[in-house]
Amino acid sequence: MASTLKKIILKSCDGKILEVEEAVAVQSQMIKNMIEDDCANEEIPLPDITGEILSMIIEYCKMHVDGENNSNNELIARDADFITRVDLNTLYYLIVAANFLNVKSLLDLTCQRVADIIKGKSPEEIRLTFNIKNDFTPEEEEEIRKKNAWAFDYKD
Amino acid sequence: MAIKCIARLSCRRVIQDHLLQASNEAAVGGGFCWANLPPELLWEVLLRIEDSESSWPERKNVVACAGVCRTWRIIIKQIVKVPQISGKLTFPISVKQPGPKDFLLQCFIKRNRSTQTYHLYLGLTNSLLDVGKFLLAARKCRHPTCTDYIIYLQAEDISKGRNAYVGRLRSNFLGNKFTVFDGQLPHAGAKMAKSRSSRLANLKQVSPRVPPGNYPMAHISYELNSLGSRGPRRMLCNMNTIPATSIGPGGLAPTQAEFTLSNVNPSPPIPIFHSKSASMENFLSGHLSDEKNGLVLINKAPRWHEQLQCWCLNFHGRVTVASVKNFQLVASPENRPAGAGPEHEKIILQFGKVGKDLFTMDYRYPISAFQAFAICLSSFDTNIACE
Repeated sequence: MASTLKKIILKSCDGKILEVEEAVAVQSQMIKNMIEDDCANEEIPLPDITGEILSMIIEYCKMHVDGENNSNNELIARDADFITRVDLNTLYYLIVAANFLNVKSLLDLTCQRVADIIKGKSPEEIRLTFNIKNDFTPEEEEEIRKKNAWAFDYKD
Repeated sequence: MAIKCIARLSCRRVIQDHLLQASNEAAVGGGFCWANLPPELLWEVLLRIEDSESSWPERKNVVACAGVCRTWRIIIKQIVKVPQISGKLTFPISVKQPGPKDFLLQCFIKRNRSTQTYHLYLGLTNSLLDVGKFLLAARKCRHPTCTDYIIYLQAEDISKGRNAYVGRLRSNFLGNKFTVFDGQLPHAGAKMAKSRSSRLANLKQVSPRVPPGNYPMAHISYELNSLGSRGPRRMLCNMNTIPATSIGPGGLAPTQAEFTLSNVNPSPPIPIFHSKSASMENFLSGHLSDEKNGLVLINKAPRWHEQLQCWCLNFHGRVTVASVKNFQLVASPENRPAGAGPEHEKIILQFGKVGKDLFTMDYRYPISAFQAFAICLSSFDTNIACE
């Protein structure tokens, strides 16, 4: 596995420099492509990712590389442990960064986490949780409220 | 995958304006804001909710997401597919869209004799006694010359007539012929799919803005068979708004895209629009030749069972009580795709008794839950005696 111990240098938007083993860095499809295209010999600037978020992503990638020989259940447990420690604000930046760096398993994990947070909430609770503005007109709101009433109608 | 990508691109285009507006407002308001999440990522999140919450009551979480804001609503509306593709009911409009193509959607009807009401539920488990997802309710109203079954979208307070009116079933004086009326124009601007272009119009799901009213969409008639009252009765459903070609290869059934919930009080009566009054008269006098293009459903002829000494149909365990009201509908032989043998006799709707006031109703494409419910209600009402 460790045929090379080449380091990839990443630079966050707030100027933090991180040296990462190639095996860890290629968890990002974007960096992998850069290495294949021979564009990763100098530091790679990541304009929209802060040092804090970048460290978390590297922690995650390292966890996956180190855990390659672990059972699937162990990995799932580690993923769950990793993601539940993340607050909602950080989660937002993790999703955006995972998408930019194209770390598919992290993108899956973060999107699933948001989906799980949404489940079971009313539209109003979702807006409050995610700080989303209600941009419906009162008429639209009323019609949606009526239709939602149908969705919550059960045989008692 | 390719289809998904195209959908995403168009979605992105549609919501770009909303998003731009939202992010501008967020910038003014300050603080982090999930409204800034790029639509393709919001799509990924909402897709996971749609995938995991596939059955009721969890499916209400998909409906909740559509009520958050415009961007969310647009994305959810694109992710949620019509029942004929997904096999799932999600928004109220689902009850007026054609059922699943590949299987019968299992529902049940509860009758309340004292209030003269009928409630349709989507079955959630194989056990009928379990809770179901409410779909539609109907109330019987007797008039001097006919009987109406008024169909609503809400279960509560249907006696007050304040609820969302969906349509009605009206019987003739004798109670052997019925007409199903849709509260909104079944498919404005997209008539029978004869040409390619009108098929495309159907695909685009144009949302008609038409006044609420009563538009005839199906005619049902019951006849005695040649044995008179001693044999099984014959049932004929002329689905005016569904082209016969819809059950052939590549066929399409018209699909309404939006519900205009009206608070129209059904009494005094809303004007009944006879869009094709000539054909109505033809129908009432028993001539159906004018309805050539519409799909015609007939009941599957039961077999005479020597040992049990009764007429039998195989409901595969979905019906347990023998009743004259039980039936299975298939496409009439002329409507079946060319070369289709008897094994192609797909059941489109089956209805039967399982308890004193409990009935199963299983339906599939090309008819909707609303149409299926109306046809079943006619079976409750029919006055033709049969042994």
